[in-house]
Amino acid sequence: MKTTMKRKGLIFYLRIYGKILAQDLKSKMSYRADFIISTIGMIFTNIAGFVSFWILFRNFSSINGWGYYEMLFLYGFSLVSLTPVQCFFDNNWSLRQYVYSGDFIKYCFRPINLFFYFQSEVFDIKGLGQLAFGIGTIAYSWANMDLPFDALMLLKLIVFMLTASLIMISLQNAAAATCFWIQNSFYVLDLVFRFKDYAKYPVTIFSPVFRFIFTFVFPIAFIAYYPSLVILRPDEVPILSWLSPVIGVIFFFISYKIWMYGATKYSGTGS
Amino acid sequence: MPEIIEIKNITKEFKVLNRREGLKGSLKDLFSRDYKIVRAVDNVSLSIGQGEIVGYLGPNGAGKSTTIKMMTGVLEPTSGEILVDGNIPYRNRTKNAQNIGVVFGQRSQLWWALPLVESFKILKDIYRIPDENYNGMIELYRSLVDIDPLLHKPVRQMSLGQRTLSDILAAFLHDPKIVFLDEPTIGLDVSMKAKIRTLIHALNKEKKTTVILTTHDMGDVDALCHRIIIIDKGKMLYDNDIEHLKGFFGSYRTLKIRVGEDPEKQAEKIRAELPEFSVSADDEWISVLVDEEKAKVIDVLGQLQKTHNIRDMQLEEISTEEVIKKIYEEGVQ
Repeated sequence: MKTTMKRKGLIFYLRIYGKILAQDLKSKMSYRADFIISTIGMIFTNIAGFVSFWILFRNFSSINGWGYYEMLFLYGFSLVSLTPVQCFFDNNWSLRQYVYSGDFIKYCFRPINLFFYFQSEVFDIKGLGQLAFGIGTIAYSWANMDLPFDALMLLKLIVFMLTASLIMISLQNAAAATCFWIQNSFYVLDLVFRFKDYAKYPVTIFSPVFRFIFTFVFPIAFIAYYPSLVILRPDEVPILSWLSPVIGVIFFFISYKIWMYGATKYSGTGS
Repeated sequence: MPEIIEIKNITKEFKVLNRREGLKGSLKDLFSRDYKIVRAVDNVSLSIGQGEIVGYLGPNGAGKSTTIKMMTGVLEPTSGEILVDGNIPYRNRTKNAQNIGVVFGQRSQLWWALPLVESFKILKDIYRIPDENYNGMIELYRSLVDIDPLLHKPVRQMSLGQRTLSDILAAFLHDPKIVFLDEPTIGLDVSMKAKIRTLIHALNKEKKTTVILTTHDMGDVDALCHRIIIIDKGKMLYDNDIEHLKGFFGSYRTLKIRVGEDPEKQAEKIRAELPEFSVSADDEWISVLVDEEKAKVIDVLGQLQKTHNIRDMQLEEISTEEVIKKIYEEGVQ
């Protein structure tokens, strides 16, 4: 053998990701007008989201017992936890085009993990603005609610944010992977993406049917609501909140397996 | 010559839904279980030695791509065995991928936004190419083609020819044992085609890389391949060297004559006079494909001379292109 096969561990993949990312950013920056316009667009998108939230609370002082700052926290939490899916997994949106045109096959010839290779190709820098807005919102509402701040709270916050991210990533992976079986999977992906808009509300405001759906079918309640309870209302945390990190990991694993199964079933169009 | 690819009786079948016409038909299709089995590759066996350049030919839809996908581990055969450098490709796709390089026609596998040299560096990490091998390879490339203007150009800004060249260089970069080239010269101009053929030839010589080449351009075959394999409708039609192939049709020769004005009209007349041979015409020449088992070329010429004023003539052996065309149309008897 020309090169001895060593196990390709985390370091190996991180190194490759870092290299692709650095080059990608460099080439994006070189298109200055493009870069500036998309940055401005991103800022306005976030401001618009924030304004609609603010108008809502001009009219209602609380929603189902959730006050302004609590809701603001939920909103910020959902922004932050949606950042990884936006930054690292944006190529999922293009998956169906690759599959439809047969170009997906080019990902199958490299000696690395197919899922990683596909996702590594795109890093969406716009997500970073969302991250900044989210952190700002959380800090602002945190200060106004006089919540205690210590290492344990910070740890909880980070763990539950990662959990929430995993859930959203899993949903998107599974939705994107439907394109391996059906022709127009855009609607599936779009549906899931629209559902995420409900993530910033406490699940208790919905009817029991939707509460069930948002908890067990499209588990968007795990994106902000269940994890935030741990921080906001430590006295009334349901068991589901404590389980959410485990559920997040399981969901991610399942969605990864679905994605990979679809990819290996994929045969490509003739050429 | 040690064998690098061993294929024994592979068959690949696809399940295809029998589609009906019209909107009503489409609705019915939603619930249909009416499948038919399409056999894309039918009981093909072959073995390829280290360092060979093999032309893998066949008309569109013959099963070429399917075979290549099975050799690269993308598809699993329905039955039969494949060994690529001792590995079963679909069982261990990533391990197999380390040993092969692939170029798929116009589908670039390079990072679109990145300059070529950055793509190379990422590939160096992915394939874990040691520094000295990498540098050696770049030096070799430099001696074969003018790569310096390409290295710092983003792939997106390259012409099709430059991109194909870059893709080929990228496929050879990790010094794989086998490189699959699927229509590498498609859409390129004559000088770029020549450049790419020279490059492939040189890399094969230098690195003893096995090359499997699918193409519709017989220029590629004549320039590169000693051995060709022809497949049609999933079945293997021919597997031998080109000279041998010409032997099949050795009794054919092309007689070209020039007869003054309007060759198209003259050809029409000749067609009527010689119904047993195929006659074609271009701006200047009229070509008659003569089967020497039926009539001697000299007799045909004599006959034509009686009725036409022949100003000039040429005699050509049958070209690879014509042989392949005849095989596609009639098969090997």
